[in-house]
Amino acid sequence: MRNIFPRWINTVPIKLFIALGMTGGAVVAGISYYATPKYTRVGYQPTQPVSYNHEFHAGQLGLDCRYCHTSVDKSPHASIPSANVCMSCHKNVKADSPLLEPIRQSYYGEDSNKDGKLSEDEDLNGDGIMNVGAPVPWVRLHKTPDYVYFNHAIHVNRGVSCVECHGRIDEMVEVHHDKSLSMSFCLECHRKPEDALRPMDKVTDLAWVAKHSLGGDDLHTEDDLDRIHADAIGFAIKNKWNVNAGVSCTTCHR
Amino acid sequence: MIRENSEQIPEDSPEPGMKYWKSLDALAETPGFQDWIQDEFPQGASMLQGFERRGFMKIMAASFGLAGLGMTGCRRPEQTIMPYGKSPEELIPGVPNYYATSMPSPHGNIPLVVESHSGRPTKIEGNPSYLPFGGSTDVYAQASVLDLYDPDRARESFRKKENQEGDLSWASVNTNTLIAEVSEWTKDGNFAILADRSFSLARTKLSSELKDKGVQFFEYEAIDLARPEKLLSKGLRLDSDGLRVIPNLGKVKRALSLDCDFLGSREPFTLANTRSFMGGRKVTSPGDAKKMNRLYSVESDMTLTGGVADHRLRLDPSQTPAFAFLLAAEVISVRKGDQTLTKRLKELGKAAEIHREWITPCVADLCSKPSQSIVLAGSHLPEEVHVAVFLINQSLGAIGKTINYLPTNDSYEGISELIEKIEANEIENLLFVGGNPVFLTDSFVDWDRIRKKLKKVARFGYSLDETSEFSDLHIAQSHYLESWDLSRTWDQESIVPVQPLIAPLFDTVSDLELLLSLVGSSLTAHDFVKSMHSELEGSKLFDDFLRLGVLSANPSFHSSPIALNDYFDKTKIQENSVGADNLDLLLIPDFHVWDGRFINNGWMHECPNPMTKLTWDNAILISPLLGKKLQKENPGIGLIPEPTMLNKQNQIAPDNANFADGRQKAPVVLVKFGNRSIEGPLYVQPGLADYTIVSSLGMGRRKTGRVGEGAGYDASTILDQNGNRMVSGAKILKIAKNWTYKKLANVQEHWSMEGRAIIREANVDYYSKKEDFAQHMGAESHSPPMWGKDENKSLAHKSQKTPRGNSSYEHPDHNYENSDTPGRHQWGMAIDLTQCTGCSACVVACQSENNIPIVGKDQVMRGREMHWVRLDRYFSSAEREGDEIPSDVQVSFQSISCMHCETAPCESVCPVNATVHDEEGLNAMAYNRCVGTRYCANNCPYKVRRFNFFDWNKRQTDELYKGPLGKKNDEISSMGKNPDVTVRMRGVMEKCTYCVQRIQEAKIQVKVNAQRAARHSSGKDGSDIEIDNSDLKVPDGTILPACSQVCPSDGVAFGDLSDPESRVSKLKNDPRNYSVLGYLNTRPRTTYLAKIRNPNDKMPDFAKKPHSYREYHDKAYPTHHGEGHGEKKETKSTNGKGSH
Repeated sequence: MRNIFPRWINTVPIKLFIALGMTGGAVVAGISYYATPKYTRVGYQPTQPVSYNHEFHAGQLGLDCRYCHTSVDKSPHASIPSANVCMSCHKNVKADSPLLEPIRQSYYGEDSNKDGKLSEDEDLNGDGIMNVGAPVPWVRLHKTPDYVYFNHAIHVNRGVSCVECHGRIDEMVEVHHDKSLSMSFCLECHRKPEDALRPMDKVTDLAWVAKHSLGGDDLHTEDDLDRIHADAIGFAIKNKWNVNAGVSCTTCHR
Repeated sequence: MIRENSEQIPEDSPEPGMKYWKSLDALAETPGFQDWIQDEFPQGASMLQGFERRGFMKIMAASFGLAGLGMTGCRRPEQTIMPYGKSPEELIPGVPNYYATSMPSPHGNIPLVVESHSGRPTKIEGNPSYLPFGGSTDVYAQASVLDLYDPDRARESFRKKENQEGDLSWASVNTNTLIAEVSEWTKDGNFAILADRSFSLARTKLSSELKDKGVQFFEYEAIDLARPEKLLSKGLRLDSDGLRVIPNLGKVKRALSLDCDFLGSREPFTLANTRSFMGGRKVTSPGDAKKMNRLYSVESDMTLTGGVADHRLRLDPSQTPAFAFLLAAEVISVRKGDQTLTKRLKELGKAAEIHREWITPCVADLCSKPSQSIVLAGSHLPEEVHVAVFLINQSLGAIGKTINYLPTNDSYEGISELIEKIEANEIENLLFVGGNPVFLTDSFVDWDRIRKKLKKVARFGYSLDETSEFSDLHIAQSHYLESWDLSRTWDQESIVPVQPLIAPLFDTVSDLELLLSLVGSSLTAHDFVKSMHSELEGSKLFDDFLRLGVLSANPSFHSSPIALNDYFDKTKIQENSVGADNLDLLLIPDFHVWDGRFINNGWMHECPNPMTKLTWDNAILISPLLGKKLQKENPGIGLIPEPTMLNKQNQIAPDNANFADGRQKAPVVLVKFGNRSIEGPLYVQPGLADYTIVSSLGMGRRKTGRVGEGAGYDASTILDQNGNRMVSGAKILKIAKNWTYKKLANVQEHWSMEGRAIIREANVDYYSKKEDFAQHMGAESHSPPMWGKDENKSLAHKSQKTPRGNSSYEHPDHNYENSDTPGRHQWGMAIDLTQCTGCSACVVACQSENNIPIVGKDQVMRGREMHWVRLDRYFSSAEREGDEIPSDVQVSFQSISCMHCETAPCESVCPVNATVHDEEGLNAMAYNRCVGTRYCANNCPYKVRRFNFFDWNKRQTDELYKGPLGKKNDEISSMGKNPDVTVRMRGVMEKCTYCVQRIQEAKIQVKVNAQRAARHSSGKDGSDIEIDNSDLKVPDGTILPACSQVCPSDGVAFGDLSDPESRVSKLKNDPRNYSVLGYLNTRPRTTYLAKIRNPNDKMPDFAKKPHSYREYHDKAYPTHHGEGHGEKKETKSTNGKGSH
């Protein structure tokens, strides 16, 4: 009886195996690179309705982060400033800039002549209350998943700077997503909080860098590194403030 | 889910949310939307029909191309954050605010503190400033927040339209237009208002103004809790309109309840009663136990009060008056009162002589502590009983000590007067304010005829119901969380505000606003309430009143003694007797829906009735004796398992023929009384009086929202115009051979603990001799020490240092010595079973706090209810003959939720490490890791894990099986979710977390405060601030899980086990403390304190041991079997117990 299959058939399984392996490997590699927060989130820079310049306000003018993000040390949320915060300066500074139109709309609302009083022809819906305008639709940049409960207050009060998660906002003209904010990103810091801790007055000082008391570039042995850590300001803070960053599920998931 | 934009919806912007909801609703009505929804693939998938294949390929190629560019498809959708235009004061996004308000109820307003997240009320708590309730709330108050977000509430006002075929439809109208229309009616003299009963001071004032304008004002409440006070005042011939009973149970040592469920849900003021009475049953040492109060209960139904009672006598309601008279005769004669009165009472109470054996020792006991005793009578009982009970309390010297009588003055005309006047053509236009009288009074009012007599009828109500269908106009009512009012509590000791938490979501008005419009006042409801407050309090600040939420009123009580020697002369001696053909019928407000007002509340429907454990239904309750008789007469009815259904151990095995899908099939029967009848499914309830049928009002509504549709049967026919809820001479009709059955969603069909030591109980005597009796029960009393060599170490040591956790994966070692991140606290819970009445408030509080979904009757019948707290109810009895369903039972309740075992069986079987221990001893559940294998639920010995078989939070309960094609829930319901808790999706496991969100918030707050305090005190900002461990510990009592916060009897303690001074540590060191199924060595963090009963050894039903203990004993020591039955022998077996 004749052979039905030619001889080269013998190598097909191994070729197939290699081909499948390579395809599978490529898919895994692709997903693990392209589908992780590092790729999908870092660099995300949506266009905001008002082109607020952090580099100018926070960097050059030196506004403290908490001037606008008022609830960052009191609440889980940092909060986006309401229009009245912007208007506290921009009533006088660049009061007529067309770039600020959405802010003014939101702030004045029915008060079209901006006199702070509601006249009858201004009361559009007739409820006798001076309604504000539509909120400014700021585009959300940083977001944790719904099952993650990040709390700003505890981090900011316990010496973790804004820069650790948001990067050098004071150098960004338009803000972009700087760190991945993935679970491993959180855990790295929770496992070694000393790397991120700083004195309370330096929390909103994004340019601040811890100076090791020993310093220098010539320390290379394990012992030296240990000493740096032990003496480093973060480690001292961790011990003195009794910082005990949780690493169990309940720390973030509720 | 719901955290999106949660912080940013501005309050004072032109109501974007409101418009949105409105348009959704309007959309749902349009034919286009209906077509779309009925399409097989409503998501637009069928759009492709119109495409050419080529076009399709082009589009797909283009979109794949786009997808390839930078994987844009993986990006999450763009979200916006909407900040306020002008930020309101006192609102920090992300931090909830709390406002004091109160909930109107038929028994006075319940003072509340309501949690509000960015303007949305999410959780209701009691206001601790009102001392009688001490910050507790009942199950209805907890569930009431769900009504605010009820998708089926009336979102606007309507005008009824009837087409030629007689079909009803509703055309929406602006609410103010309708009010203006109704205001016109007030100008004619023939306008009447029929309102529900209210404790509102504001309403009283406005209704009197309306009366001055010539408007006639009537009130109606089907379950009229003010009825007994009117009867009593009439009987005692007092000037006041009523004489209200205000028990002061904190001082009570001996109490007798005459069919009065004063700890349950059907009598007024039960929160205060529970709090004070159960406070008198708190036991911390054998010495205390002697001071424990004792409760006798004579009742027809099996109530929560009967469950607490130390002695319980089953008595049909028609026999209760005779019993009360004999009791009064006995008490007065022991107390050496008027002899002629005694004689007359004895005559009247002749029928109760058969209970003499019970009455004599009971009266002796009551009279042994005269001024510390109290007798209470149920609100459905006749006038003579209330008078007799007044005389008893007076004779005991209880008045002014354990019981106060409060004269009340609110006379009103009821529905009978209204009907008379309509019949006499004195009234042409009628406005219903609240309530649902057309449904409730259908049995004695001929509404069709009345309708013809009336010209115009309007209805002011929360949703479209039977009364709306009767009316031409429906004016939409606001929820109490959207309203202003000024009201009173039941005891009139406090004046409380009703303060809105949110502006009306829809085009609705409150009852106060409606009445203000009718009066013609231009004041807003807020200004009106404020002006009333300044009348009461003068210059005191209104804002302070709103902050505190209560204002003392100091009512004056009735104090002068009353002699009524001739009162009983006219009373007829009762001669009727009960029997199988002459049954008593008692109507009670339904546990789930009260009088029907919670008919569209899924939390209430799904919260199991504490005694029957039924959800989504009510049933005709009959006694086991009657059940057996019916079974004999109608073989195959399947009421009682046949003797053949006993297994080899002589235990009741379910009669499979009468169970469908493992669920109870109840035969539907007709009960006739006079020319009226009710029809509903039968349910055999142990503990019922032999010839009493108990039926509940409020279910079986004809017109409701989607939730209440088809729930239960209507029993309103029992009511008559005098508010009587008791009927004699009822008969269960012979039923045809072809039964119709109704499947009941019963969550606990098994009644008995089968002799296992799950709930451990003892009597006071035994407890005082053997304080640690609970330690000597259960299999663990025979097993090696649970904690190994640590057995005798302190609780703090065990909780911190004994190794725990056994996940199949390596996970952090949380023992103190080895851990990098040691737990600062070790959480634990202790539940005192003596304190639990079974009120079920914890079940709903947990549901509200933790975003637990409603699953619907169909899913409950499949055993998929999602409650994290399960309230187990067990019956135990003296006679245990196997095939008998016992009649005289003791009831024990136990709330079971995740025990947070230290060596948790669920953790070791999870293949993905989704459930692991945290450093503070919590058994954590990481939803995002869970893949839904359900191994953990299988391996949990306590059966407390709940699996999301469907997207219950997302999809309507009747559309679950359609998967992603099923209709989504109305989005309004997501507004009430707690933003601090994840809303779980399909396919993940969930369970009690000890309210981890509250724990974390408290810990964060303590840390933030410590850091700030250190900075302020040192004046330094740097690294030299010192904060030690004690600064970071959460003080004891700061964290209250939802179940603990709501508990009226304070039976749930939660706290830190590593702190020996915490309340929970102290309770856990009590010798009564035990672990359920402790022999499994799961080392649960939730433990129970054994239940103590306080029976009187002179009583005929006295047993030395609680029945459950004897059941346990007979099973654990079968060689002693039989000794437990006889009282004398039982003593011997007890004495022998110590040697085991």
